[in-house]
Amino acid sequence: MADKRESVRIKDGQQLRVLDEAARRRRQRKALEALEEDNFSEDPHADLKMSKKAPKFEEAMDGSGPGPKKKRKSKGDFKLRYRKTFAALLEEEHMLNKDGPSYVTACAPPSKLPERHFCAVCGFPSNYTCVQCGARYCCVKCLGTHVDTRCLKYTA
Amino acid sequence: MATLILDNGAGSAKVGFSTDSEPKIIPNCVTKAKNVRTRIFIGDQIEDCKDLSSLYYLLPFQKGFLVNWEIEKQVWDHMFSKDVCQVEFNETTIMVTEPYFNFPSVGEAINEVIFEEYQFQALHRTQAPTLTCYKHQTDKETSGSLFGTLVVDSGYSFSHIVPFYKNKPIKEAIIRVNVGGKVLTNHLKEVISYRSLMVMDETYVINQMKEDVCYVSTKFNKDMGIARLKAPENTISRDYILPDYTHIKRGYVRSQEESAKAKGDEQMIRMNNERFGIPELLFRPSDVGIQEMGISESIMHCVSLVEEELVPHLLNNIVLTGGNALLPGFQDRVFQDVRSMACDDMDVGISTPDNPITYAWQAGCDFALDPSFPSVCVSRHEYEEYGHSACLNKFNVS
Repeated sequence: MADKRESVRIKDGQQLRVLDEAARRRRQRKALEALEEDNFSEDPHADLKMSKKAPKFEEAMDGSGPGPKKKRKSKGDFKLRYRKTFAALLEEEHMLNKDGPSYVTACAPPSKLPERHFCAVCGFPSNYTCVQCGARYCCVKCLGTHVDTRCLKYTA
Repeated sequence: MATLILDNGAGSAKVGFSTDSEPKIIPNCVTKAKNVRTRIFIGDQIEDCKDLSSLYYLLPFQKGFLVNWEIEKQVWDHMFSKDVCQVEFNETTIMVTEPYFNFPSVGEAINEVIFEEYQFQALHRTQAPTLTCYKHQTDKETSGSLFGTLVVDSGYSFSHIVPFYKNKPIKEAIIRVNVGGKVLTNHLKEVISYRSLMVMDETYVINQMKEDVCYVSTKFNKDMGIARLKAPENTISRDYILPDYTHIKRGYVRSQEESAKAKGDEQMIRMNNERFGIPELLFRPSDVGIQEMGISESIMHCVSLVEEELVPHLLNNIVLTGGNALLPGFQDRVFQDVRSMACDDMDVGISTPDNPITYAWQAGCDFALDPSFPSVCVSRHEYEEYGHSACLNKFNVS
C-alpha cells in the first residue's frame, strides 16, 4: 500500500517541458517584430489575377502609344535603383560608418528604471512567473487561462 | 513662385501651399479593402470607402524611413494632382520633411524624384522638429530670445527628442525612442485579440478606438487599483461599441448609464486597464520588452548630453508635437516625470501647440516667407549642374 503512494506534483514535474533561455528570447523577439507589422493577414487581393473575370489592364496600357511607354520605363529604372529594405539601408550606414552621430547612436539607451511586470492575461501588475515559458501572471485563475491558451502553444 | 509644404510623415502626410490656412492630411499609404475588390484607395481616397473593416495597408515607410517608392509615388501622384493640390511643377518650390539621420540614399532618392520625376523648380529638405523650433521661437519672440528649445516629436513610427541651441539642432544629443503610434495600435490589437475579440485585421478600427478611449495616466498605480474595482467604483472602465459598417458607421464609447441596461446585438469591447496601459509604452517601453528609455527618461538623458549652461533653457521650453501629443494627459505626464527628475532649482515649462499634428506644417508656411528661405533651397538648375552634392551642401541633413 505504502509504495503506491506518490506525489502528483513530483510526477507532473518530471514531465514538464521547460522552455530554455534561447527559446524564450526567440519568443520575445517574435512578439516585438509583430509590433512592427503593417498587416496581420495576407493581401486580400492577392488572388485577383487568378480570376478570369478581372480585366487585364496591362495589355490596354501597353498599346497606348509610344509616349507614355518611354516614361514608364524610366520610372521602372529609378524604382529598381532605390529598392532597398530597411535592413539594407542600415547595413549601408554601417559601411559608411562615420564617427559622428547617426541612426544607430541616436537610439535611446536601456532604461535605468527597474522593469515592471504585468500579467500576460489580464494586464494587472503580476508577481509570478510561469515556470515553463517565463510569461508573467498574477493569480491562479490567470495561470489557468495562460496554460490553456498560450503557454507552449501556438506562439512557441 | 508658389511654395508647397509637404510634411511627409510615415503615418500621414500634411500637404498644402504656404498660402493655405490649413494643410490637407493625407494617410501616407495605399489601402485595399476586403470587400471592395475592384479598386485600391490611394491616400485620402479611403474616405470613399464605406466598409473600413479588414483594410490591408501598403506603407511606403519602414521603421520611419522611406523605402517603398512604388507606393510613395502613387500617393504623391495623387497628392500633386488636381484632386488634392493641383501643383504646377514648373512654378513651384517644394519643402519636404524627412526624419533625422535619414539614410543618404533615401535623401538622394527624394532629390531625384522631386527634380526628375516631377520637375519641381526648387527643393528644400528639412525635419519636422527643426520647423517646429523655428515657429515656436517666433511665436514666443515677445518673451525674449530663446536660447534653447527641446522638441519632442512623437509620431507614427518613433518619438524623437531634439534639443536646439537657438535654431540649430544639437545632433549629438538627439534621442530616438522606437515607440510611436503604430506600436501602440499593434499592441492594443494584440491585447484585445487575446482578451476578448479577434481584431488583428482591424487596424483602422482599433486605431480609431485608441484615439477615442486611451489616455496617459499621471497616477499609474492608483489607476491600476481603480481598474480592479467592480462597476460603480470603477471610473475607468468603458464600453466601446465597434462599427459594423451597416448601421453603425463609426465606433463610439457607450456611456456608463446605457451600459447598465442596453444589451443589443452590437459588438462591444470593454476597455479597462488597457485604456492607460497601452500608451504607457511611450513612457516605459520595457513593459513589453523594448529595452529603451521612455520619453521622459530620454528627455533627461538628452539634457545630460548638452552643455550645462543650456540645460535650464531646454527644460523650461519643451514643445510636444506629433499625433501622440493628442493623448489626454500626455503633457501632464511629461511634466510630472521631468519635474520629478530635474534639479529643483530649474523651472520646467512644457507646451503643446493647438494642433500638434499640423504645427510643423504651419511652421513650414512661416519659414517659406523667411528672407533666408531662398538661400537654403536648391534650384533645378543647380541640381542638374552639381547633382546630389548641391543638396548636401545646402540642406542641414544627415
